[in-house]
Amino acid sequence: MSKGFTTTYRIALLASAILAMFAGVEARLVWLHVIDRDALLRSVGEARRQLTVDTARRGDIVDAHGALLATSRSIIVLGVDPQFTRPEDRPKWPRLAELIGLPLPVLQKAFLTKIRPEAPKGENRAGPDKPMLITLAQPGTPPAEAAPATVAAAGDAAAKDDTELDEPDELNNRPIRWAKLSDQVPESVYADVTKLNVRGVYGRRLYRRDYPHNEMAAHIIGFVDGHEKPMAGMEHYADFYLRGENGWLESEKDGKSRELAQFRTREVPAVDGFNVTLSIDATVQHMVEDELAKVAAQYEPQKATIIVSDPLTGFVLALANYPSFDLNTYNKLTKDEQRWMRNVALADEYEPGSVFKIVAVSGALNEGLVTTQTEFDCTLEKIDYNGLTRNLPREDASDHFDHPLSVAEIVAHSSNKGAAQLAMRLGDQRFYDYARAFGFGQHTGFPVGGEVLGNLKPPAKWDSLTITRMPMGQSVTATALQMQQAMGVIASGGVLLRPQVIRQIRDAQGELVYKFDRIEERRVISQQTADTMARLLTEVVSPEGNAVQAAIPGFNVAGKTGTAQKLLPVILSNGTTVMRYSDKHHVASFVGFFPASHPQVAIAVIIDDADARCPTGVAFGNAVAAPVFKRLGERLIPYLDIRPTIQNDAAPALALGDTR
Amino acid sequence: MRAGPPNGSRAFVNHFMVYALVAICTSASIGLGTVWMRHQISVAANENKVLEAAVADLDRRIEETDAAIAAEQDPAVLNRRNTDWNLGLVAPVETQVRRISEDPVLRLASLHNRKLFGEVPATVSLQVALAH
Repeated sequence: MSKGFTTTYRIALLASAILAMFAGVEARLVWLHVIDRDALLRSVGEARRQLTVDTARRGDIVDAHGALLATSRSIIVLGVDPQFTRPEDRPKWPRLAELIGLPLPVLQKAFLTKIRPEAPKGENRAGPDKPMLITLAQPGTPPAEAAPATVAAAGDAAAKDDTELDEPDELNNRPIRWAKLSDQVPESVYADVTKLNVRGVYGRRLYRRDYPHNEMAAHIIGFVDGHEKPMAGMEHYADFYLRGENGWLESEKDGKSRELAQFRTREVPAVDGFNVTLSIDATVQHMVEDELAKVAAQYEPQKATIIVSDPLTGFVLALANYPSFDLNTYNKLTKDEQRWMRNVALADEYEPGSVFKIVAVSGALNEGLVTTQTEFDCTLEKIDYNGLTRNLPREDASDHFDHPLSVAEIVAHSSNKGAAQLAMRLGDQRFYDYARAFGFGQHTGFPVGGEVLGNLKPPAKWDSLTITRMPMGQSVTATALQMQQAMGVIASGGVLLRPQVIRQIRDAQGELVYKFDRIEERRVISQQTADTMARLLTEVVSPEGNAVQAAIPGFNVAGKTGTAQKLLPVILSNGTTVMRYSDKHHVASFVGFFPASHPQVAIAVIIDDADARCPTGVAFGNAVAAPVFKRLGERLIPYLDIRPTIQNDAAPALALGDTR
Repeated sequence: MRAGPPNGSRAFVNHFMVYALVAICTSASIGLGTVWMRHQISVAANENKVLEAAVADLDRRIEETDAAIAAEQDPAVLNRRNTDWNLGLVAPVETQVRRISEDPVLRLASLHNRKLFGEVPATVSLQVALAH
């Protein structure tokens, strides 16, 4: 065996060197890991740790057939850091300006303005002055976006400020680190912008609410503000379901602020918001809004409302008001135009006029106090009631009855005197109880629109004329939806149904979370009374009735007109202001349903103050609202596949083809 | 000169050197392996991140497309297109509709066939080849 290459001297030297090196390394390790540990960890943590919020997507609002009514889509807020631009990119600027739809001079100014003089004290400053501990970004953000020179505060911060500034230099100028170029860049355009590869230009991705149908169902859907804060309508009511829950992930970043995915320590995924399915049918809603537009063009009313619902379930198929507004541009409305946002179908009350007669007639029939053939003298001027002589209301100028009217005729001709006498048969308290039972003076429970109660005073607060005026729809106020709900009692066979607009809640994967069903509030009248009332109401649109304009060939239409004088302030000669019923301003309405024997659709048409454009100078319900009911009904028949109830001998033309 | 047997200290040193070299090589291998493994973890994590980004990007594109489709399907837009392109489409009215109880496809097929062949049964002629 060889002696080996070592000598004692060499061994000692080598061992000493190795030991010295190990000792040095160990000393350094002890220094770093024990003595300086806290400071270093703090420093590393501050420099490398990053907490990224994974923004949850707000759920969609869809119609009964799944058509998008409100959705969230990501858009890019595009900006430039003027400190990072380079001269060789200058030829690309015109193309960039063209892509984002910005005038070239404006773009050039954003690129070339590199500093801003320090703002005077007290003025709000943007940028790094704000503590910015959390970086907001979408997961999987490309490095180009995730590595801005300034802190990447996506979303709202970007929307709030058009620029972000750095600390002021010695000349008190603040370098601009981000100047907004556009806040509406779609994903597809942003892909083209990225391909241009202009240095310093980067975008911040955020979700923005989009309403693809603009004005459609604006008062039902509502809207969110620029920061996704729900402001009105379904957006506000169903926010709990829609908003989702943000996730977050904790990881580390490199020197260029790029996430080091391998150092992700905790990851809580975002839970996207649920989708809300409404009972609104976009096609029916469009038909309704189309009819409202025609009414607006023809009569220029102060306001108008049309509601279409399924009378057997209470679900609203369409609800529209005139005037309305565009959900995508609600923030551009002037102060005066902001009243258009009011859902007048629920937030405004009006005297319902003759439509309210259904309460007295239904009550008297349901209590067995009268039959359809019971007759009343409708020429009386005064009548004794509860020991007092009361003045009966006048009939409409065109109505003069030379014979006693049966209950059926009272309904068909809309006799005010007849309705008053029916209410007197019921008595104050029972009439009031029926009015309450029909839903007047209380909330319907409709989830959106800022619903008001309406005004239905209890008998203790009535004056001597109330029992004669309330049955014809004066001295009582109601919302358009309350009228629709009350007529629904007759259509549904005597049951008061809660009007609803949400059908289902589904999660982001489409799984059913909750399903809403028909809600019966109470039985108001018997099925038999409801059937009788439906039959009586079909006489209203018969040639003998007062609203033949609402008749739809082939279908039994049941409905009731209303022409309510508006109660307006009048200044007397002595300077005092009193409220008087106007002869020149009316609320015209027609509320009905069809087919009367098995109702499939209920429609309420309420038009406020259309008198000025009416040939007669008075906007009667049968002249203004009933034709709208008819037109709308005829459009709904083929769409909702409503089968005719009256056999017509005339052979129809064929849509599917004649096989004879 | 003939080398004698190594004394105890030299043998120990030789062994020490060998073991030290083995230990260094082993720890270096472990170190390199660890570095390689961490690199692979990093690569996999970044690939995952890129994939996530791609999926998220696709989702965003789908959402954008859905919104665009919904906007194009707005009845007002469809009406405008109908007018602009002179399509002349109108909604059916009740008098145009014949309600049928049978399958409309079979009904239309029947109608088509009757137009094609008439009410009289068609005569059928066949060419027959006879083998000798």
